[in-house]
Amino acid sequence: MFDFDGNRLRKTVLEMAYAGSTVHIACAFSIIEVLAVLHQHFLRYPENMPQHPMRDYLVLSKGHGVMAQYACMRERGWLTDQDITGYFSDGSHLKGLSDSRIPGLEVTSGSLGHGFSVGLGMALGVHRQNTDQKTFVIVGDGEINEGPIWEGALFASHHALRNFVVIVDENGFQAMGKTSEVLRLGSIADKFRAFGFEAVEVDGHSMTDLNSSLTALLSSDDSRPKALIARTVKGKGVSFMENDNRWHYSRLDAATYQKAMQEIARSPA
Amino acid sequence: MRQAFSDTLIKLASEDDRIVLLTGDHGYALFDEFRQRLPNQYINAGIAEQNMVGMAAGLAKVGMRPIVYGLSAFIPVRVVEQIKIDIAHDSLPVILIGDGAGLVYSHLGTSHQSLEDIAVLRSVPNIQIYSPADRFEMRASMEKSIHSLQPTYIRMGKSDLGDIHCVMCDVTLPILIAGDSAASKTIFYATGSMVKSALLVATAICPQARVYSVPLIHPMHRSAIVDQCFDAHHVVTFEEHSVTGGLGSAICEILAEDQPKRILRIGSDHMFSKTCGSYSHLLAEHGLDALSVTEKVKVFLG
Repeated sequence: MFDFDGNRLRKTVLEMAYAGSTVHIACAFSIIEVLAVLHQHFLRYPENMPQHPMRDYLVLSKGHGVMAQYACMRERGWLTDQDITGYFSDGSHLKGLSDSRIPGLEVTSGSLGHGFSVGLGMALGVHRQNTDQKTFVIVGDGEINEGPIWEGALFASHHALRNFVVIVDENGFQAMGKTSEVLRLGSIADKFRAFGFEAVEVDGHSMTDLNSSLTALLSSDDSRPKALIARTVKGKGVSFMENDNRWHYSRLDAATYQKAMQEIARSPA
Repeated sequence: MRQAFSDTLIKLASEDDRIVLLTGDHGYALFDEFRQRLPNQYINAGIAEQNMVGMAAGLAKVGMRPIVYGLSAFIPVRVVEQIKIDIAHDSLPVILIGDGAGLVYSHLGTSHQSLEDIAVLRSVPNIQIYSPADRFEMRASMEKSIHSLQPTYIRMGKSDLGDIHCVMCDVTLPILIAGDSAASKTIFYATGSMVKSALLVATAICPQARVYSVPLIHPMHRSAIVDQCFDAHHVVTFEEHSVTGGLGSAICEILAEDQPKRILRIGSDHMFSKTCGSYSHLLAEHGLDALSVTEKVKVFLG
């Protein structure tokens, strides 16, 4: 029904970021393919309704990547072109971090570590209601510095919440530097396995690999909760943003906007 | 009061299977009957309050009716950000129970004592705060909370002080429990464990005072306070909580704006407990024992 094309999603992110003179562009670019695959193949929104009671839940715990989700919401027709061009204008509704009052965003996040627990509660609730709804929670690798992530991981495992899928955007950076230099994480997959998850690692920009890994996790007979560690590149898709952590905070000017749009236009679909 | 809490909890949860009780590994014998009768509605989330409160928000989002239990030093104080962002922002129907409020854990020290909880929550939008004084107020507070569909904090302090009322009452308004409502120029507002103290002080030195129990601390019923204090010359507030941010502050804010009066706030005056000892010992240390309170009120009333 919809075609969630990575290049088109990135263009929307750039349009929004330029229109609103906003930051966190690189945080959005690392999760473009993860979101595209979820929307294309996994998330069920009956009648394309963002608040349908039987939908699957997409929880953007890593609220800083919200422009990537806005781009997907535009593809679904949940946002208008005016929402994109009027981003950050006075009196507008789309914020720089995930806000639960916007249909399509399940939680208010940005203070990190919250969405994981809220998503876990949603997964627990629908598990007890015996529906087959899934909860996908996207967290950043920097975000998993937060303690509640690991409190929740113990809980998810203890209660065998197989409908709970955490996707870690392992782009290797957090606000002030490389994760390896700020607080070394080691193997994130091993950590989640040690906490009782079925965990796999995948190239987070390969839509084919993401699709097959998620399919395998969701069809697994294993009752453990699921963790998909997506190895990604912060700023993916625009050469001068990739792995340059200044693009956590930098804003586009006319020249960088044009250059970035041209690069995306030249990228293979 | 704890028995009333347990009985009401079981009654409400038996009538509505969407209700789930979450505890942060607290409440030992308190939940024996609940666990036995409603095992599928009981979740011990472990010693992990932040995750527990976030999960409660998620449960509420998918149609469950979580009741979260903890010690008031932890629920709400440890998890105020989860309450603000995950629960209050969406005005979710989550009830938070903070047990052992005030100086109840007198022997355990500062980590388990809670004199800041009301102050911390009063500034968070969408939350209502109850501080029941006896089993009747407890039961009514719980029933009001569950039917309100609003985020609610119920503060449970010293719970074995006996009854104030002999029947159920409307807990959304200050409840007159002593004094002639027409004649007296002195008004006492008290909440929770300090309602008995206010009655004792009134009996000892000011028998004509109108004494109100105030179970609903926030939002405070502004017009009721203004009406009750219309003719008053002196107003005294009593709470086992900091003098900042609790009942006394709420009354002061209303009266200062609408009808200035002379007010004395009885509460803990910005101090941590210095020593270990019994509950009554610590009340005295904080100046909340009957003798200290009586003396302060006597001086205030002249």
